[in-house]
Amino acid sequence: MNSAPRTATSGAPRATPPGSASAKGPGGPGGGGRARWSPFRTDPAVPPWIFVVPALAVYAVVVLYPSVAGVVYAFTDWSGVGSFSFVGVDNFRTLLDDRRALESVGNTLLLTVAVVVVQNGIGLLLALGVHANIRSRALLRVIFFAPAVVSPVMVAFLWKYVYNPEGGAGLNGVLGALGLGGLRQDWLGDPSLALWSVAAMVIWQYAGYSMVIFLAGLQGVPAELHEAATIDGAGAWQRFRYVTWPLLAPALTINLMLSTIGGLKLFDQVYAATNGGPGTASETLSTVLYKEAFVYGKFGYSTAVALVLALFVAAVSLVQLRYLRAREVTA
Amino acid sequence: MTTGFPRFSHARTDGPGAGLPVPPGRATVSRRGLLRIGGTAAAAAALPAALTACSGSGGGTGQVRVVGVADQQKPLEELIAAYRADHPDDRFSTSFAPTDQVQTVVRTQLAGGNAPDVHVLYPGSGSAMSMAELAKASLLTDLSAQPWTKGIPASFDAAYRRDGKTYLYSAGSSVIGAIYNKKAFARAGVEPPGTWAELLDVCGTLKAAGIVPIALGAQTPWVTQLISYALVPDAVYAREPDFDDRMTAGRATFVDSGWADALGKYKELQRKGFFNDNPNGTTFEQQTSLVAGGKAAMAVQVSAVLSTFRQATRTPDDLGMFPFPAGDDAKKQWIPAGIVVGLGVAAHAKNPDRAKAFVEFLGRQENIDRWAKAVSAIPFKRGAATRLDPVLDPFLPVIDAGRAVPFMDQRWPNAEVQPAHFAAVQDLLAGKKDVKGALAQMDAAYRKKA
Repeated sequence: MNSAPRTATSGAPRATPPGSASAKGPGGPGGGGRARWSPFRTDPAVPPWIFVVPALAVYAVVVLYPSVAGVVYAFTDWSGVGSFSFVGVDNFRTLLDDRRALESVGNTLLLTVAVVVVQNGIGLLLALGVHANIRSRALLRVIFFAPAVVSPVMVAFLWKYVYNPEGGAGLNGVLGALGLGGLRQDWLGDPSLALWSVAAMVIWQYAGYSMVIFLAGLQGVPAELHEAATIDGAGAWQRFRYVTWPLLAPALTINLMLSTIGGLKLFDQVYAATNGGPGTASETLSTVLYKEAFVYGKFGYSTAVALVLALFVAAVSLVQLRYLRAREVTA
Repeated sequence: MTTGFPRFSHARTDGPGAGLPVPPGRATVSRRGLLRIGGTAAAAAALPAALTACSGSGGGTGQVRVVGVADQQKPLEELIAAYRADHPDDRFSTSFAPTDQVQTVVRTQLAGGNAPDVHVLYPGSGSAMSMAELAKASLLTDLSAQPWTKGIPASFDAAYRRDGKTYLYSAGSSVIGAIYNKKAFARAGVEPPGTWAELLDVCGTLKAAGIVPIALGAQTPWVTQLISYALVPDAVYAREPDFDDRMTAGRATFVDSGWADALGKYKELQRKGFFNDNPNGTTFEQQTSLVAGGKAAMAVQVSAVLSTFRQATRTPDDLGMFPFPAGDDAKKQWIPAGIVVGLGVAAHAKNPDRAKAFVEFLGRQENIDRWAKAVSAIPFKRGAATRLDPVLDPFLPVIDAGRAVPFMDQRWPNAEVQPAHFAAVQDLLAGKKDVKGALAQMDAAYRKKA
């Protein structure tokens, strides 16, 4: 985490915003007795550690304890009810031979790449669009962001209507009306399309989310840099390439990581739209591990799959973070 | 998508309106604010303990807790009301959820030692919430002492009983057949067929008249299995009554059995264009509306969903049902008849006596009849006053002649064969697998450990 010397750590986050209570202000505990120890009062440059405790307590109870306790089950044959016995690494050995699980890894990766690339591409274009000086930009921002606040399951149900295979309904109906009847498809029922149809649905929902993060990044690019570049004779593309783009790096890091993690553990939309089908054409690691546990009653094996997924997501995220943070620059 | 990502503070916050990651002005917290947050967090941390305490004392309220599947809501609510008329002091709390959710919820509650008193239970084996699976884990109460259990025919043993003990209450069996729209049949001038050859003729005539012969909503997983189930009794069990035993003993496979003929016929119906376009993209709801609206002539379905079809049309009397013919002899049809989803009493019920008394009440003939009627099922035993839904009449002679076969999954050894069948049919319809490949997939799932 601290291997990126050029990151913007000395900027805004630690500065005290004007007008808000400062750590040294009258509200500060201890009333100025410098020598007295207090959990609230340490080096003013370092936030007191006790601030972390409430969040950490909740995190420990809700996330850490169940996660660690769950790992144990990955080495058992627990069926979800009744007793269990330890089976060593059998579950992991089964996973290596489980064709359906391995296929689902391929699907998960395809889905993730598609979502990460397209969602962030569209998100960036939308952000550039609504950052420009156009009259309806506030309204457009709301419209583009709106799908992100809808529950993913609701989005999947709505899109099932959009993807209705009948010629006159939904997307097929629109294609027909545009004279593009030849492009009509069985969007969710065709095994070669189902995965991409789900990807399109996810991108539709979260492109606005990426947009908002990029927009925040864009608004952090100082206007004087653009002015200077303009005076130096840079055109619109050059200003984007050499001024905006490098400074968007922190936003890009966040967006790529969020969408990668989201893509790798994608469940709701797939489960609600296709249930992994037709056949196993759109099965992802998350739908497989859900089915192993709650449909087949193999909680032990499912936990093993979940553990592998968690480690995989963590590994990918760490590599990504190291790489992306290394290329961040400050204004 | 946002969970667990800690590094928002990296986004610059000094531009106008750059409020998203860290809103300026909220970057510091007053001490009072901190204490408030801390208090909330402490309360949240204490919450799980409080919840556990509540659930531990749940029995103290004296309510009989019933968790059912959505299909059971109507009969159960009616019968609970009837029971309470005689037992005004017994209070019930009920909840209902669709199949997927209810399986998850009840399993979790059983695992967590917080079992409802009476809960949904699937007949036979073959599903994670089936009688055999839960009985094996000692999670069910033996009901054998109740009088109604004496009336269960021996042929239904595998559904209701394990090791000679009865664990399941179910009102009877539903049948799989073709639910058809009489008006659509009349428009094309055809009658319900009695043999496979007649069926193909009828479908051809319907198609020529511009009516979809058979609506198929194969995007909904459980719908995929119904045509196989309708064809397999004739293709497999009429010839090999001991097929299940031979499968259990490892002396038979799906691939080398009549299942290949059945799936071959399934595929033939598709090849001849007798299904709606894109069955893999069509849901159960769309299938229902195709038949109810007369765009399609029939759908192979289980009688338990007749009420759903009737709700979808303004003229429910136009819907009928007939055995879906798979063989060559109209006088010797075979049909699938499965015990409908029922109830069990949890071994760790908090009110075991009242729960058992309620199930005993459900076992009276008039209540079996009431439940069966509500789900268009045939009661497992019939009394003098038993009145069946008239659409089921064509099935009775077949059942009484002993040519009804339990739903195939009720004898399958683990919970994976059925989903493998769903996937196999979808692959078959999509042209991704042939009959052999589809059945090999089911054989592989069958041989897995339970």
